[in-house]
Amino acid sequence: MGTRTLLMPLLICLASLVCLQAAAAQAGDVAVVVNDRNPVNTLSSTELREIFAGEKHYWAAGVPIRIFVRGPGTPERNALLKLLGMTESEYKRYWTTQILRGEAQAEPMPLPSNGMQREAVVAYPGAVALVGFQDIKAGMKVLKFEGRKPGEAGYALQGR
Amino acid sequence: MRHVSWAAAMLFLLSSLCYPQVATPTDPETIGQLVQQVKDLQERVRILESQQRPTDASVPNSPNLPTPPVEPAEEAATASALEQKIHETRGIQWRGFGEVDYKALSQRQPELGAYGFVPGSAGNFYTGDFGLFLTSKLTEKASVLSEIVFEDGDAQTYKVDLRRLLLKYDYGEHLKMSFGRYQTSIGYYNWAFRSAAWLQTTADRPLVMEFASNGGLLPTQAIGVSLTGTIPSGKLGLNYVAEYGSSDTIRPDISGDGRETDENNGNHVNVGFFLRPDALRGLQIGASYYHDKISNLALDAASGAPVPQTPGSPGPSARYGQTIDNGYVVYVAHGIEFLNEGFLIRDAALHFSNTVYNTPAFYSQVSKQMGHIRPFVRFQYVNASPNDLIYNDVGLRFGPSFGARYDLNDYIALKAQLDHTVRRGEPDLNGLHLQLAFTF
Repeated sequence: MGTRTLLMPLLICLASLVCLQAAAAQAGDVAVVVNDRNPVNTLSSTELREIFAGEKHYWAAGVPIRIFVRGPGTPERNALLKLLGMTESEYKRYWTTQILRGEAQAEPMPLPSNGMQREAVVAYPGAVALVGFQDIKAGMKVLKFEGRKPGEAGYALQGR
Repeated sequence: MRHVSWAAAMLFLLSSLCYPQVATPTDPETIGQLVQQVKDLQERVRILESQQRPTDASVPNSPNLPTPPVEPAEEAATASALEQKIHETRGIQWRGFGEVDYKALSQRQPELGAYGFVPGSAGNFYTGDFGLFLTSKLTEKASVLSEIVFEDGDAQTYKVDLRRLLLKYDYGEHLKMSFGRYQTSIGYYNWAFRSAAWLQTTADRPLVMEFASNGGLLPTQAIGVSLTGTIPSGKLGLNYVAEYGSSDTIRPDISGDGRETDENNGNHVNVGFFLRPDALRGLQIGASYYHDKISNLALDAASGAPVPQTPGSPGPSARYGQTIDNGYVVYVAHGIEFLNEGFLIRDAALHFSNTVYNTPAFYSQVSKQMGHIRPFVRFQYVNASPNDLIYNDVGLRFGPSFGARYDLNDYIALKAQLDHTVRRGEPDLNGLHLQLAFTF
Protein backbone atom coordinates (compact mmCIF):
# COMPACT_ATOMS: atom_id res chain seq x y z
CA MET A 1 0.00 0.00 0.00
CA GLY A 2 2.79 2.32 1.04
CA THR A 3 4.77 1.65 -2.12
CA ARG A 4 1.69 2.23 -4.29
CA THR A 5 1.08 5.53 -2.51
CA LEU A 6 4.64 6.54 -3.27
CA LEU A 7 4.68 5.38 -6.89
CA MET A 8 1.41 6.84 -8.12
CA PRO A 9 2.31 10.53 -7.69
CA LEU A 10 5.76 9.85 -9.05
CA LEU A 11 4.36 8.16 -12.16
CA ILE A 12 1.90 11.02 -12.65
CA CYS A 13 4.76 13.43 -12.20
CA LEU A 14 6.93 11.64 -14.75
CA ALA A 15 4.08 11.29 -17.24
CA SER A 16 3.28 14.98 -16.98
CA LEU A 17 6.92 15.87 -17.49
CA VAL A 18 7.07 13.68 -20.58
CA CYS A 19 3.87 15.27 -21.92
CA LEU A 20 5.20 18.75 -21.25
CA GLN A 21 8.48 17.87 -22.93
CA ALA A 22 6.67 16.51 -26.00
CA ALA A 23 4.38 19.53 -26.17
CA ALA A 24 7.33 21.86 -25.88
CA ALA A 25 9.18 19.97 -28.60
CA GLN A 26 6.14 20.16 -30.88
CA ALA A 27 5.76 23.86 -30.16
CA GLY A 28 9.30 24.48 -31.41
CA ASP A 29 9.03 22.28 -34.48
CA VAL A 30 8.74 24.02 -37.83
CA ALA A 31 7.08 22.05 -40.60
CA VAL A 32 7.98 22.03 -44.28
CA VAL A 33 4.69 22.46 -46.12
CA VAL A 34 3.81 22.29 -49.80
CA ASN A 35 0.69 22.35 -51.91
CA ASP A 36 -1.32 19.18 -51.32
CA ARG A 37 -1.09 18.31 -55.03
CA ASN A 38 2.70 18.18 -54.81
CA PRO A 39 3.74 14.50 -55.03
CA VAL A 40 6.87 15.03 -52.90
CA ASN A 41 6.62 13.46 -49.45
CA THR A 42 10.04 13.89 -47.93
CA LEU A 43 13.08 16.17 -48.23
CA SER A 44 16.59 15.87 -46.92
CA SER A 45 18.30 18.83 -45.27
CA THR A 46 20.49 19.23 -48.37
CA GLU A 47 17.46 19.37 -50.67
CA LEU A 48 15.64 21.80 -48.40
CA ARG A 49 18.72 24.01 -48.12
CA GLU A 50 19.11 24.02 -51.92
CA ILE A 51 15.47 25.01 -52.31
CA PHE A 52 15.55 27.86 -49.80
CA ALA A 53 18.96 29.03 -51.05
CA GLY A 54 17.47 29.37 -54.53
CA GLU A 55 19.87 26.78 -55.97
CA LYS A 56 17.12 24.35 -56.91
CA HIS A 57 14.40 25.91 -59.02
CA TYR A 58 12.13 23.04 -60.03
CA TRP A 59 10.35 20.14 -58.38
CA ALA A 60 11.06 16.74 -59.89
CA ALA A 61 7.84 16.96 -61.92
CA GLY A 62 9.09 20.17 -63.55
CA VAL A 63 6.85 22.55 -61.61
CA PRO A 64 8.70 25.78 -60.73
CA ILE A 65 9.43 26.08 -57.02
CA ARG A 66 7.92 29.14 -55.38
CA ILE A 67 9.44 29.98 -52.02
CA PHE A 68 7.50 31.74 -49.28
CA VAL A 69 9.15 32.80 -46.06
CA ARG A 70 8.29 34.68 -42.88
CA GLY A 71 9.85 37.95 -41.78
CA PRO A 72 12.66 38.43 -39.26
CA GLY A 73 11.94 37.57 -35.63
CA THR A 74 9.54 34.71 -36.29
CA PRO A 75 10.23 31.06 -35.39
CA GLU A 76 9.93 30.13 -39.08
CA ARG A 77 12.61 32.67 -39.98
CA ASN A 78 14.84 31.34 -37.20
CA ALA A 79 14.47 27.83 -38.60
CA LEU A 80 15.26 29.11 -42.11
CA LEU A 81 18.42 30.88 -40.99
CA LYS A 82 19.55 27.81 -39.05
CA LEU A 83 18.94 25.68 -42.13
CA LEU A 84 21.01 27.99 -44.32
CA GLY A 85 23.65 28.60 -41.65
CA MET A 86 23.33 32.36 -41.99
CA THR A 87 22.62 35.39 -39.87
CA GLU A 88 19.85 37.79 -40.90
CA SER A 89 22.45 40.15 -42.36
CA GLU A 90 24.19 37.35 -44.26
CA TYR A 91 20.80 36.25 -45.60
CA LYS A 92 20.10 39.74 -46.96
CA ARG A 93 23.52 39.98 -48.56
CA TYR A 94 23.26 36.48 -49.98
CA TRP A 95 20.09 37.35 -51.87
CA THR A 96 21.46 40.68 -53.08
CA THR A 97 24.44 38.74 -54.43
CA GLN A 98 22.22 36.16 -56.11
CA ILE A 99 20.15 38.90 -57.75
CA LEU A 100 23.18 40.81 -59.04
CA ARG A 101 24.67 37.58 -60.37
CA GLY A 102 21.44 37.00 -62.26
CA GLU A 103 20.78 33.76 -60.39
CA ALA A 104 17.56 35.02 -58.79
CA GLN A 105 14.81 37.43 -59.73
CA ALA A 106 14.15 38.68 -56.23
CA GLU A 107 14.55 37.79 -52.59
CA PRO A 108 11.87 35.30 -51.49
CA MET A 109 8.80 37.22 -50.50
CA PRO A 110 8.34 37.46 -46.73
CA LEU A 111 4.67 37.00 -45.81
CA PRO A 112 3.30 38.76 -42.74
CA SER A 113 1.52 35.76 -41.25
CA ASN A 114 1.26 32.01 -41.31
CA GLY A 115 -2.31 32.53 -42.51
CA MET A 116 -0.91 34.15 -45.64
CA GLN A 117 1.58 31.32 -45.96
CA ARG A 118 -1.29 28.86 -45.86
CA GLU A 119 -3.10 30.82 -48.56
CA ALA A 120 0.04 30.89 -50.70
CA VAL A 121 0.62 27.16 -50.33
CA VAL A 122 -2.97 26.45 -51.30
CA ALA A 123 -2.90 28.85 -54.24
CA TYR A 124 0.40 27.89 -55.89
CA PRO A 125 1.15 24.30 -56.96
CA GLY A 126 4.91 24.83 -56.62
CA ALA A 127 4.75 26.61 -53.28
CA VAL A 128 6.93 25.64 -50.34
CA ALA A 129 6.99 27.30 -46.94
CA LEU A 130 8.11 26.77 -43.38
CA VAL A 131 5.24 26.90 -40.88
CA GLY A 132 5.24 26.51 -37.12
CA PHE A 133 3.81 23.16 -36.08
CA GLN A 134 0.95 24.74 -34.14
CA ASP A 135 -0.13 26.70 -37.22
CA ILE A 136 -0.53 23.77 -39.59
CA LYS A 137 -3.93 23.99 -41.24
CA ALA A 138 -5.95 22.09 -43.75
CA GLY A 139 -4.68 22.51 -47.29
CA MET A 140 -1.06 22.25 -46.22
CA LYS A 141 0.79 19.07 -46.99
CA VAL A 142 3.42 18.47 -44.34
CA LEU A 143 6.61 16.86 -45.63
CA LYS A 144 8.93 14.63 -43.75
CA PHE A 145 12.24 16.32 -43.07
CA GLU A 146 15.18 13.95 -42.79
CA GLY A 147 12.68 11.11 -42.46
CA ARG A 148 10.69 12.61 -39.60
CA LYS A 149 7.48 14.58 -39.32
CA PRO A 150 7.18 17.53 -36.96
CA GLY A 151 6.18 16.40 -33.50
CA GLU A 152 8.19 13.22 -33.77
CA ALA A 153 11.19 12.75 -31.52
CA GLY A 154 14.41 13.95 -33.11
CA TYR A 155 12.75 16.27 -35.62
CA ALA A 156 15.54 18.63 -36.62
CA LEU A 157 13.90 21.78 -37.98
CA GLN A 158 13.44 23.99 -34.95
CA GLY A 159 12.36 27.60 -34.71
CA ARG A 160 13.77 28.37 -31.30
CA MET B 1 4.33 8.27 3.83
CA ARG B 2 1.96 11.21 3.66
CA HIS B 3 5.02 13.44 3.57
CA VAL B 4 6.30 11.51 0.59
CA SER B 5 2.98 11.92 -1.23
CA TRP B 6 3.00 15.63 -0.50
CA ALA B 7 6.56 15.86 -1.67
CA ALA B 8 5.70 14.09 -4.91
CA ALA B 9 2.68 16.32 -5.44
CA MET B 10 4.79 19.41 -4.79
CA LEU B 11 7.42 18.12 -7.21
CA PHE B 12 4.74 17.67 -9.85
CA LEU B 13 3.41 21.18 -9.20
CA LEU B 14 6.88 22.67 -9.27
CA SER B 15 7.80 20.84 -12.44
CA SER B 16 4.66 22.19 -14.08
CA LEU B 17 5.40 25.68 -12.87
CA CYS B 18 9.09 25.60 -13.56
CA TYR B 19 8.97 24.20 -17.04
CA PRO B 20 7.46 27.27 -18.67
CA GLN B 21 10.04 29.43 -16.92
CA VAL B 22 12.78 27.40 -18.51
CA ALA B 23 11.12 27.33 -21.89
CA THR B 24 9.89 30.90 -21.81
CA PRO B 25 12.13 33.23 -23.76
CA THR B 26 13.31 36.51 -22.35
CA ASP B 27 10.76 39.33 -22.02
CA PRO B 28 11.52 41.20 -25.29
CA GLU B 29 11.22 37.91 -27.18
CA THR B 30 7.90 37.18 -25.47
CA ILE B 31 6.62 40.62 -26.38
CA GLY B 32 7.83 40.13 -29.93
CA GLN B 33 6.08 36.79 -30.18
CA LEU B 34 2.87 38.24 -28.74
CA VAL B 35 2.99 41.12 -31.20
CA GLN B 36 3.56 38.65 -33.99
CA GLN B 37 0.63 36.54 -32.82
CA VAL B 38 -1.61 39.62 -32.77
CA LYS B 39 -0.47 40.43 -36.31
CA ASP B 40 -1.16 36.86 -37.36
CA LEU B 41 -4.62 37.01 -35.90
CA GLN B 42 -5.36 40.38 -37.48
CA GLU B 43 -4.23 39.06 -40.83
CA ARG B 44 -6.31 35.94 -40.42
CA VAL B 45 -9.40 38.00 -39.56
CA ARG B 46 -8.78 40.21 -42.58
CA ILE B 47 -8.56 37.22 -44.89
CA LEU B 48 -11.64 35.61 -43.41
CA GLU B 49 -13.60 38.85 -43.65
CA SER B 50 -12.53 39.30 -47.24
CA GLN B 51 -13.75 35.85 -48.05
CA GLN B 52 -17.02 36.37 -46.07
CA ARG B 53 -16.95 32.83 -44.98
CA PRO B 54 -17.45 31.26 -41.60
CA THR B 55 -14.39 30.80 -39.49
CA ASP B 56 -12.27 27.75 -40.09
CA ALA B 57 -11.52 27.43 -36.39
CA SER B 58 -13.30 24.14 -36.45
CA VAL B 59 -10.64 22.69 -38.71
CA PRO B 60 -8.70 20.27 -36.59
CA ASN B 61 -5.14 21.35 -35.95
CA SER B 62 -3.40 18.27 -37.25
CA PRO B 63 -1.38 17.66 -40.37
CA ASN B 64 -2.44 14.04 -40.48
CA LEU B 65 -6.13 14.68 -41.00
CA PRO B 66 -7.58 14.52 -44.50
CA THR B 67 -7.55 17.77 -46.36
CA PRO B 68 -10.93 19.29 -47.21
CA PRO B 69 -11.26 20.39 -50.83
CA VAL B 70 -10.58 24.06 -51.44
CA GLU B 71 -13.56 25.84 -52.92
CA PRO B 72 -12.91 27.56 -56.26
CA ALA B 73 -14.24 30.86 -54.86
CA GLU B 74 -11.90 30.65 -51.91
CA GLU B 75 -8.97 29.84 -54.16
CA ALA B 76 -9.77 32.82 -56.38
CA ALA B 77 -9.98 35.17 -53.39
CA THR B 78 -6.72 33.77 -52.07
CA ALA B 79 -4.98 34.17 -55.38
CA SER B 80 -6.29 37.73 -55.65
CA ALA B 81 -5.00 38.70 -52.21
CA LEU B 82 -1.67 37.10 -52.90
CA GLU B 83 -1.31 38.58 -56.33
CA GLN B 84 -1.62 41.98 -54.68
CA LYS B 85 1.30 41.09 -52.47
CA ILE B 86 3.22 39.36 -55.22
CA HIS B 87 2.78 42.38 -57.45
CA GLU B 88 5.88 43.74 -55.72
CA THR B 89 7.98 41.10 -57.46
CA ARG B 90 6.37 41.50 -60.86
CA GLY B 91 7.11 44.17 -63.42
CA ILE B 92 10.63 45.50 -63.78
CA GLN B 93 12.88 44.98 -60.79
CA TRP B 94 15.55 47.64 -60.44
CA ARG B 95 18.77 47.22 -58.57
CA GLY B 96 21.93 49.23 -58.82
CA PHE B 97 25.51 49.40 -57.72
CA GLY B 98 28.30 51.92 -57.72
CA GLU B 99 31.68 52.77 -56.33
CA VAL B 100 33.82 55.76 -55.46
CA ASP B 101 37.54 55.11 -55.57
CA TYR B 102 40.81 56.74 -54.68
CA LYS B 103 43.95 55.22 -56.13
CA ALA B 104 47.54 56.24 -55.66
CA LEU B 105 50.48 54.66 -57.47
CA SER B 106 54.21 54.95 -57.04
CA GLN B 107 54.47 56.17 -60.64
CA ARG B 108 52.96 59.11 -62.50
CA GLN B 109 51.49 56.98 -65.26
CA PRO B 110 48.21 55.03 -65.32
CA GLU B 111 48.06 51.28 -65.07
CA LEU B 112 45.34 49.52 -67.01
CA GLY B 113 44.65 52.82 -68.78
CA ALA B 114 41.26 52.90 -67.16
CA TYR B 115 38.86 54.75 -64.93
CA GLY B 116 39.95 58.32 -65.52
CA PHE B 117 43.33 57.94 -63.87
CA VAL B 118 45.02 61.19 -64.85
CA PRO B 119 48.57 60.80 -66.21
CA GLY B 120 51.00 63.05 -64.41
CA SER B 121 49.32 62.63 -61.07
CA ALA B 122 50.19 59.95 -58.55
CA GLY B 123 46.75 59.79 -56.99
CA ASN B 124 43.21 60.25 -58.28
CA PHE B 125 39.59 59.91 -57.37
CA TYR B 126 37.28 58.16 -59.82
CA THR B 127 33.90 56.50 -59.84
CA GLY B 128 34.63 53.17 -61.54
CA ASP B 129 31.48 51.40 -62.67
CA PHE B 130 27.99 52.62 -61.91
CA GLY B 131 25.48 49.97 -62.88
CA LEU B 132 21.75 49.70 -63.29
CA PHE B 133 20.52 46.16 -63.07
CA LEU B 134 17.07 45.35 -64.40
CA THR B 135 15.19 42.09 -64.38
CA SER B 136 11.67 41.24 -65.41
CA LYS B 137 9.83 37.97 -65.22
CA LEU B 138 7.86 37.28 -68.39
CA THR B 139 6.46 33.86 -67.53
CA GLU B 140 7.20 31.19 -64.95
CA LYS B 141 10.16 30.08 -67.04
CA ALA B 142 11.15 33.14 -69.07
CA SER B 143 12.73 36.37 -67.91
CA VAL B 144 14.80 39.30 -69.11
CA LEU B 145 17.97 40.59 -67.46
CA SER B 146 19.99 43.64 -68.34
CA GLU B 147 22.99 45.30 -66.77
CA ILE B 148 23.76 48.81 -67.96
CA VAL B 149 27.08 50.12 -66.77
CA PHE B 150 28.36 53.69 -66.92
CA GLU B 151 32.14 53.45 -66.99
CA ASP B 152 34.30 56.32 -65.84
CA GLY B 153 36.64 57.35 -68.66
CA ASP B 154 39.24 59.98 -69.32
CA ALA B 155 38.45 63.59 -68.29
CA GLN B 156 35.44 62.43 -66.25
CA THR B 157 33.53 61.33 -69.31
CA TYR B 158 31.29 58.29 -69.09
CA LYS B 159 30.81 55.46 -71.52
CA VAL B 160 27.67 53.35 -71.52
CA ASP B 161 28.32 49.63 -71.70
CA LEU B 162 25.52 47.11 -71.93
CA ARG B 163 27.42 44.51 -69.94
CA ARG B 164 24.60 42.00 -70.07
CA LEU B 165 21.33 41.76 -71.97
CA LEU B 166 19.76 38.35 -71.72
CA LEU B 167 16.50 36.72 -72.58
CA LYS B 168 16.51 33.73 -70.27
CA TYR B 169 14.43 30.62 -70.58
CA ASP B 170 14.58 27.74 -68.13
CA TYR B 171 13.47 24.51 -69.68
CA GLY B 172 14.14 22.81 -66.38
CA GLU B 173 16.87 22.17 -63.83
CA HIS B 174 18.96 20.49 -66.52
CA LEU B 175 18.71 23.13 -69.22
CA LYS B 176 18.70 26.89 -68.73
CA MET B 177 19.18 28.99 -71.82
CA SER B 178 20.26 32.60 -72.19
CA PHE B 179 20.29 34.55 -75.43
CA GLY B 180 21.97 37.91 -75.84
CA ARG B 181 25.08 39.57 -74.43
CA TYR B 182 26.54 37.57 -71.60
CA GLN B 183 29.65 37.50 -69.46
CA THR B 184 31.72 34.55 -70.62
CA SER B 185 31.90 31.71 -68.13
CA ILE B 186 35.68 31.42 -68.24
CA GLY B 187 36.56 30.73 -64.66
CA TYR B 188 34.82 31.38 -61.38
CA TYR B 189 35.48 35.08 -60.84
CA ASN B 190 33.53 36.30 -63.83
CA TRP B 191 30.47 34.35 -62.70
CA ALA B 192 30.70 35.10 -58.99
CA PHE B 193 31.50 38.80 -59.00
CA ARG B 194 30.03 40.02 -62.27
CA SER B 195 30.38 43.81 -62.57
CA ALA B 196 29.56 45.12 -59.12
CA ALA B 197 32.46 46.18 -56.93
CA TRP B 198 30.17 45.64 -53.94
CA LEU B 199 30.14 41.90 -54.67
CA GLN B 200 33.93 41.67 -54.54
CA THR B 201 35.97 41.33 -51.41
CA THR B 202 38.91 43.17 -52.93
CA ALA B 203 38.87 46.68 -54.35
CA ASP B 204 39.78 45.51 -57.85
CA ARG B 205 39.72 42.38 -59.94
CA PRO B 206 42.80 40.21 -60.52
CA LEU B 207 44.47 41.42 -63.74
CA VAL B 208 43.69 38.23 -65.63
CA MET B 209 40.00 38.60 -64.73
CA GLU B 210 39.82 42.35 -65.35
CA PHE B 211 37.31 43.40 -67.99
CA ALA B 212 38.92 43.49 -71.44
CA SER B 213 37.85 47.13 -71.82
CA ASN B 214 40.07 47.87 -68.82
CA GLY B 215 43.07 45.93 -70.09
CA GLY B 216 42.16 42.45 -68.89
CA LEU B 217 43.43 39.46 -70.83
CA LEU B 218 40.24 37.44 -71.25
CA PRO B 219 37.27 37.99 -73.56
CA THR B 220 34.85 38.86 -70.78
CA GLN B 221 31.76 39.58 -72.90
CA ALA B 222 30.12 38.03 -75.94
CA ILE B 223 26.84 37.94 -77.80
CA GLY B 224 25.32 34.55 -78.46
CA VAL B 225 23.75 31.71 -76.58
CA SER B 226 24.71 30.35 -73.19
CA LEU B 227 23.44 27.04 -71.81
CA THR B 228 23.83 25.74 -68.30
CA GLY B 229 22.27 23.15 -66.05
CA THR B 230 22.78 20.25 -63.74
CA ILE B 231 23.96 16.80 -64.78
CA PRO B 232 22.45 13.92 -62.79
CA SER B 233 25.36 12.92 -60.58
CA GLY B 234 23.94 12.34 -57.11
CA LYS B 235 25.92 13.95 -54.34
CA LEU B 236 28.64 15.09 -56.72
CA GLY B 237 26.60 18.12 -57.82
CA LEU B 238 27.91 18.22 -61.38
CA ASN B 239 26.93 21.16 -63.59
CA TYR B 240 27.82 22.16 -67.12
CA VAL B 241 28.05 25.39 -69.10
CA ALA B 242 28.28 25.72 -72.87
CA GLU B 243 28.53 28.97 -74.81
CA TYR B 244 28.69 29.86 -78.48
CA GLY B 245 28.95 33.48 -79.45
CA SER B 246 30.81 36.42 -80.89
CA SER B 247 32.92 38.80 -78.93
CA ASP B 248 34.71 41.76 -80.42
CA THR B 249 37.28 42.54 -77.81
CA ILE B 250 39.21 45.79 -77.85
CA ARG B 251 41.63 45.98 -74.96
CA PRO B 252 43.81 48.98 -74.11
CA ASP B 253 47.49 48.34 -73.53
CA ILE B 254 48.07 48.36 -69.82
CA SER B 255 51.53 49.84 -70.21
CA GLY B 256 49.96 53.24 -70.79
CA ASP B 257 51.41 53.67 -74.31
CA GLY B 258 48.09 54.99 -75.62
CA ARG B 259 47.44 52.03 -77.86
CA GLU B 260 44.77 49.39 -77.88
CA THR B 261 44.41 46.03 -79.59
CA ASP B 262 41.34 45.17 -81.64
CA GLU B 263 41.13 41.39 -81.54
CA ASN B 264 38.39 41.12 -84.20
CA ASN B 265 37.26 37.86 -82.68
CA GLY B 266 35.49 35.14 -84.59
CA ASN B 267 32.80 32.98 -83.03
CA HIS B 268 33.98 31.29 -79.88
CA VAL B 269 33.10 28.04 -78.17
CA ASN B 270 33.37 27.73 -74.42
CA VAL B 271 32.61 24.51 -72.56
CA GLY B 272 32.96 24.04 -68.83
CA PHE B 273 32.03 21.78 -65.96
CA PHE B 274 31.94 22.34 -62.25
CA LEU B 275 31.24 20.30 -59.13
CA ARG B 276 29.50 21.35 -55.94
CA PRO B 277 29.75 18.22 -53.80
CA ASP B 278 27.25 17.77 -50.98
CA ALA B 279 29.99 16.38 -48.75
CA LEU B 280 31.71 19.76 -48.40
CA ARG B 281 29.27 22.60 -48.76
CA GLY B 282 30.93 25.70 -50.19
CA LEU B 283 33.48 23.80 -52.26
CA GLN B 284 33.35 24.30 -56.02
CA ILE B 285 35.78 22.76 -58.47
CA GLY B 286 35.60 23.61 -62.13
CA ALA B 287 37.36 23.64 -65.46
CA SER B 288 36.63 25.20 -68.83
CA TYR B 289 37.97 25.24 -72.38
CA TYR B 290 37.58 28.22 -74.70
CA HIS B 291 38.52 28.52 -78.37
CA ASP B 292 38.36 31.45 -80.79
CA LYS B 293 40.29 33.06 -83.66
CA ILE B 294 41.60 36.56 -83.11
CA SER B 295 43.77 39.31 -84.61
CA ASN B 296 46.17 41.80 -83.12
CA LEU B 297 45.17 44.97 -84.93
CA ALA B 298 46.92 47.80 -83.07
CA LEU B 299 44.93 51.03 -82.81
CA ASP B 300 45.61 54.46 -81.46
CA ALA B 301 43.35 54.67 -78.41
CA ALA B 302 42.55 58.34 -78.87
CA SER B 303 41.66 58.32 -82.58
CA GLY B 304 40.88 54.66 -83.15
CA ALA B 305 43.07 54.70 -86.26
CA PRO B 306 45.36 51.75 -86.97
CA VAL B 307 48.96 52.39 -86.01
CA PRO B 308 51.81 51.36 -88.31
CA GLN B 309 52.93 47.78 -87.78
CA THR B 310 56.39 47.18 -86.46
CA PRO B 311 58.86 45.87 -89.03
CA GLY B 312 58.78 42.09 -89.33
CA SER B 313 55.32 41.75 -87.80
CA PRO B 314 52.81 39.56 -89.65
CA GLY B 315 50.49 42.51 -90.32
CA PRO B 316 47.00 43.42 -89.15
CA SER B 317 45.28 40.62 -91.06
CA ALA B 318 47.24 37.88 -89.29
CA ARG B 319 45.04 35.49 -87.35
CA TYR B 320 45.75 33.52 -84.24
CA GLY B 321 43.95 30.52 -82.85
CA GLN B 322 43.33 31.32 -79.20
CA THR B 323 42.56 28.68 -76.61
CA ILE B 324 42.06 29.42 -72.94
CA ASP B 325 42.23 26.55 -70.46
CA ASN B 326 40.98 27.29 -66.98
CA GLY B 327 40.80 25.32 -63.75
CA TYR B 328 39.71 26.47 -60.33
CA VAL B 329 39.12 25.31 -56.77
CA VAL B 330 37.17 27.64 -54.52
CA TYR B 331 35.75 27.30 -51.05
CA VAL B 332 33.25 29.86 -49.81
CA ALA B 333 31.51 28.95 -46.54
CA HIS B 334 31.54 29.70 -42.82
CA GLY B 335 32.87 33.20 -43.51
CA ILE B 336 35.92 31.83 -45.33
CA GLU B 337 36.62 32.72 -48.93
CA PHE B 338 39.44 30.79 -50.58
CA LEU B 339 39.71 31.32 -54.33
CA ASN B 340 42.28 29.68 -56.59
CA GLU B 341 42.18 29.92 -60.36
CA GLY B 342 44.72 29.09 -63.02
CA PHE B 343 44.74 29.89 -66.74
CA LEU B 344 46.78 28.96 -69.76
CA ILE B 345 46.17 31.28 -72.71
CA ARG B 346 47.61 29.90 -75.96
CA ASP B 347 47.88 32.11 -79.03
CA ALA B 348 48.89 30.02 -82.05
CA ALA B 349 49.77 31.84 -85.24
CA LEU B 350 47.66 30.61 -88.13
CA HIS B 351 48.96 30.17 -91.69
CA PHE B 352 52.00 32.45 -91.44
CA SER B 353 53.97 30.70 -88.71
CA ASN B 354 54.05 27.71 -86.38
CA THR B 355 54.74 29.84 -83.33
CA VAL B 356 52.64 29.31 -80.23
CA TYR B 357 52.71 31.81 -77.38
CA ASN B 358 51.72 30.53 -73.95
CA THR B 359 50.57 32.94 -71.26
CA PRO B 360 50.14 31.25 -67.88
CA ALA B 361 48.29 33.17 -65.18
CA PHE B 362 46.84 32.47 -61.78
CA TYR B 363 45.59 34.17 -58.68
CA SER B 364 44.94 32.97 -55.18
CA GLN B 365 42.86 34.89 -52.67
CA VAL B 366 41.94 34.15 -49.09
CA SER B 367 39.76 36.14 -46.71
CA LYS B 368 37.85 35.61 -43.48
CA GLN B 369 34.80 37.46 -42.20
CA MET B 370 35.36 38.72 -38.65
CA GLY B 371 32.25 40.62 -37.64
CA HIS B 372 31.98 43.57 -40.01
CA ILE B 373 35.60 43.27 -41.17
CA ARG B 374 36.96 40.91 -43.80
CA PRO B 375 40.77 41.02 -44.10
CA PHE B 376 42.11 39.56 -47.33
CA VAL B 377 45.32 38.57 -49.05
CA ARG B 378 45.72 37.93 -52.76
CA PHE B 379 48.63 36.88 -54.91
CA GLN B 380 48.48 37.10 -58.67
CA TYR B 381 50.79 36.13 -61.50
CA VAL B 382 50.74 36.70 -65.26
CA ASN B 383 53.59 35.83 -67.60
CA ALA B 384 53.15 36.90 -71.24
CA SER B 385 55.91 36.52 -73.75
CA PRO B 386 57.47 39.82 -74.90
CA ASN B 387 57.22 38.42 -78.45
CA ASP B 388 53.46 37.80 -78.17
CA LEU B 389 52.08 40.71 -80.17
CA ILE B 390 48.72 40.47 -78.40
CA TYR B 391 49.92 40.59 -74.79
CA ASN B 392 53.36 42.16 -75.17
CA ASP B 393 52.19 45.12 -73.07
CA VAL B 394 51.55 42.77 -70.15
CA GLY B 395 54.84 40.93 -69.83
CA LEU B 396 55.64 39.32 -66.50
CA ARG B 397 53.75 40.69 -63.53
CA PHE B 398 53.27 39.23 -60.12
CA GLY B 399 52.85 40.30 -56.56
CA PRO B 400 50.67 40.38 -53.48
CA SER B 401 47.74 42.55 -52.48
CA PHE B 402 46.38 42.78 -49.00
CA GLY B 403 43.81 44.85 -47.19
CA ALA B 404 40.41 44.71 -45.60
CA ARG B 405 36.77 45.20 -46.41
CA TYR B 406 34.55 46.80 -43.80
CA ASP B 407 30.79 46.43 -44.21
CA LEU B 408 29.12 49.51 -42.81
CA ASN B 409 25.75 47.80 -43.30
CA ASP B 410 24.14 45.37 -45.72
CA TYR B 411 24.52 47.79 -48.64
CA ILE B 412 27.73 49.81 -48.18
CA ALA B 413 31.29 48.54 -47.91
CA LEU B 414 34.55 50.38 -47.41
CA LYS B 415 37.71 48.74 -48.74
CA ALA B 416 41.38 49.52 -48.36
CA GLN B 417 43.97 47.66 -50.40
CA LEU B 418 47.73 47.81 -50.83
CA ASP B 419 49.35 46.31 -53.93
CA HIS B 420 52.91 45.45 -54.77
CA THR B 421 53.58 44.40 -58.38
CA VAL B 422 56.87 43.14 -59.73
CA ARG B 423 57.23 43.84 -63.47
CA ARG B 424 59.75 42.53 -65.95
CA GLY B 425 62.00 45.32 -67.23
CA GLU B 426 60.26 48.00 -65.19
CA PRO B 427 60.45 49.22 -61.60
CA ASP B 428 58.22 47.53 -59.04
CA LEU B 429 54.87 49.21 -58.67
CA ASN B 430 53.19 49.99 -55.37
CA GLY B 431 49.62 51.10 -55.05
CA LEU B 432 47.03 52.18 -52.51
CA HIS B 433 43.39 51.69 -53.42
CA LEU B 434 40.52 52.97 -51.29
CA GLN B 435 37.00 52.20 -52.33
CA LEU B 436 33.47 52.91 -51.18
CA ALA B 437 31.27 50.29 -52.85
CA PHE B 438 27.51 50.18 -52.54
CA THR B 439 24.40 48.56 -53.88
CA PHE B 440 20.82 49.73 -53.79
